[in-house]
Amino acid sequence: MSNQTLALLILLFPAAGAILLAGRGWRLPRIFTVIVGPGVVWASFVATLALLLAKASGDFTYWTWIKSGTFEVPFNLLIDNLSIFMCLVITGVGGLIVTYSVGYMEHEDDPSYARFFCYMDVFIFSMLLLVLAGNFVFLIVGWAMVGLSSYLLIGFWYQRHSAVVAARKAFVMNVIGDVGMILGTFVLFMTYQQATFQGVFGRLNGCPRGVGQLCLLPFTSGDTFNLELVGFLFLVGAVAKSAQLPLHTWLPDAMEGPTPVSALIHAATMVTAGVYLVGRMHPIFDVATYAHNAVAIIGAITALFAATIAIVQVDIKRVLAYSTMSQIGYMFLAVGIGAYTAGFFHLLSHAFFKALLFMAAGNVIHAMHDEQDMRKYGGLWNQMRPTAITFLVGSLSLVGVIPFVGFFSKEQILGLAFSKPDDNMVHVLWGVGFATALITGFYTGRMWWLSFWGKPSPQRPVEHPHAPRLVMMVPVAILAILATVGGFIQTTAIGIGPSTVTDFLASAVGSQRWEGGGAEIAVTFLTMILAAGLFAWALYSRPWSAYAPWAQRLLERKYYFDEIYDWAFARPTDWVAGFALRDIERPVIDAAVVDTGLLARAGAGGLSLTQSGYFRNYVLVFVGGAVVAAVILIVRANS
Amino acid sequence: MSTLNIGGSQLDASWFLLLSAILFVLGAVGVLVRRNPLVILISIELMLNAANLVLVAFSRQLVNIEGQLFALMSMTVAAAEAVVGLAILVDIFRTRDAEDIDDLSEMHG
Repeated sequence: MSNQTLALLILLFPAAGAILLAGRGWRLPRIFTVIVGPGVVWASFVATLALLLAKASGDFTYWTWIKSGTFEVPFNLLIDNLSIFMCLVITGVGGLIVTYSVGYMEHEDDPSYARFFCYMDVFIFSMLLLVLAGNFVFLIVGWAMVGLSSYLLIGFWYQRHSAVVAARKAFVMNVIGDVGMILGTFVLFMTYQQATFQGVFGRLNGCPRGVGQLCLLPFTSGDTFNLELVGFLFLVGAVAKSAQLPLHTWLPDAMEGPTPVSALIHAATMVTAGVYLVGRMHPIFDVATYAHNAVAIIGAITALFAATIAIVQVDIKRVLAYSTMSQIGYMFLAVGIGAYTAGFFHLLSHAFFKALLFMAAGNVIHAMHDEQDMRKYGGLWNQMRPTAITFLVGSLSLVGVIPFVGFFSKEQILGLAFSKPDDNMVHVLWGVGFATALITGFYTGRMWWLSFWGKPSPQRPVEHPHAPRLVMMVPVAILAILATVGGFIQTTAIGIGPSTVTDFLASAVGSQRWEGGGAEIAVTFLTMILAAGLFAWALYSRPWSAYAPWAQRLLERKYYFDEIYDWAFARPTDWVAGFALRDIERPVIDAAVVDTGLLARAGAGGLSLTQSGYFRNYVLVFVGGAVVAAVILIVRANS
Repeated sequence: MSTLNIGGSQLDASWFLLLSAILFVLGAVGVLVRRNPLVILISIELMLNAANLVLVAFSRQLVNIEGQLFALMSMTVAAAEAVVGLAILVDIFRTRDAEDIDDLSEMHG
């Protein structure tokens, strides 16, 4: 089978699964859904593996989608190491999560069960389209479709009002990003008259390795301005999709969705699309320095900001949501300073350990009958030992303890930020990242000790939690193993060993242009030791908030972002809409329409009086008219 | 206006016009004031024939055969119109007892 067919097959498997489940799924026995739902994702995974083993790369055009004058959009898929890397994460981690859902969603009735897997397959398809698209139009299609499937899955339990509201919020926030993407594409098209990645990047100075082969036009200052504009517009899209400041408020609310959804969409794949976007657009960001710096600054601020909020959250999934925002902040920081491969390595490692954390938390929530308040857990270490161990693996990975995968990826980002030469900003960014790492240690420790250590809480809904089913435990265990040993594929953070991810992605995004030294390695270990220390210390430090109740309140209210948006956007919009309704719609527009109708009705009423129905009336008018006409004719003839 | 030679006697064309006008007015007044639908139809025939008279008179005076041809056609149309009108009337009489045309005023506004 040719690489071209394989690339298309990656997309077609989940699409076919979604269509099957949407059409017949709920009418057939549940085993059909159980096989088709995760099966198609694994089929895509196999196809991706085949592409990987074939060392495939290229820009495959299948057909011309739109052709109008000079505007031409082909349906093409760009296969390079970056898109294969993303496909592996999506189908691999995604396959584990969808398999896990077989157990997690078992209490749903048959139609909902099939609907869930249908949505999951739609999501996998959309996400794959996003990363495989070879032109900006299909990138936007995938970009919007992951937003749609995210909306559908957050609002999966549509009988719950809070879930519906959260879904709507996520959708609106994502559409703000979509608008940025579309406008950015417009600017690019107007500048270069190209809609494909190769077409646009080929026109940029300094050809990206592995993508464009043509370097026709040298830069002009106007181009640089346009590229800055494009960079910032794409940044809006990336920020909205990846829940970075200031468009982050939807992600914590998105935890209303089922836990596998949180693991798949809101931790492992969709929210990292912003990182993918910056990586894919790196020829633009390499030129648009202001936009590029903005990526790093936003990432660093979000990392710290989200980590502080995570300290006080009591809902286990919300802690994980804020930590996801924080970790994606690290990725933005990495790609923002030009360490693309480090950012993508952290994306991979985050997909492992955060999906692991979410699914382990899902086991706990499942056993606790949907209770998500950590204060009501306690003492699960003895009762749910396998889940507790896997959760500990995920936590230590999140904190960045050697040898877990999070250590190698996160500490590599921090080390590279610390040692980047010729840039004054990076030390500030490194400082923020370092502080975030310490806070990460603290809140992760708080989460783990609170949930699993100590005595069972008296408010616990279940005295003796049942063990998770095998289908839920096996994916968690696989991810736990990956989170433990996965780091050894790239150990550049400690200065020795392989650098598989960097080598693999260098052909697509280029490796960073500087090397770390001894100081960087020292810093790396210092961060790890301090963060791990805080992880342990969190056990004894619960009443910290008694000394600073104002800080506790500030964090619990999430820095009042929802309130500020309510005051800044929702209420003015309400007020304007109310004003328009009260003072424009009703007195002006409505009145004009109603008055026109009344006028027509009155006129018709008057005119209908002439229609008496009596034959002789009509004849009289007719004859009278004829007489008048005759008189006029005679008078005119004689004058 | 020249005179017409009718049966040896010379008649001014205006006499025919006068007769036609009288017939036409009689017909029009009949349509206006009579209430029996049948009589109204007859009055309409009267008006049509008044018009035919004018056509024929002018045809003779101007020595142009077209006027007479047109009168023939007008008669044909009048016959057709009478057929349709009578058919409608028969139908109305079948469904209801309407001797007064003023009873047929359901279509008023």
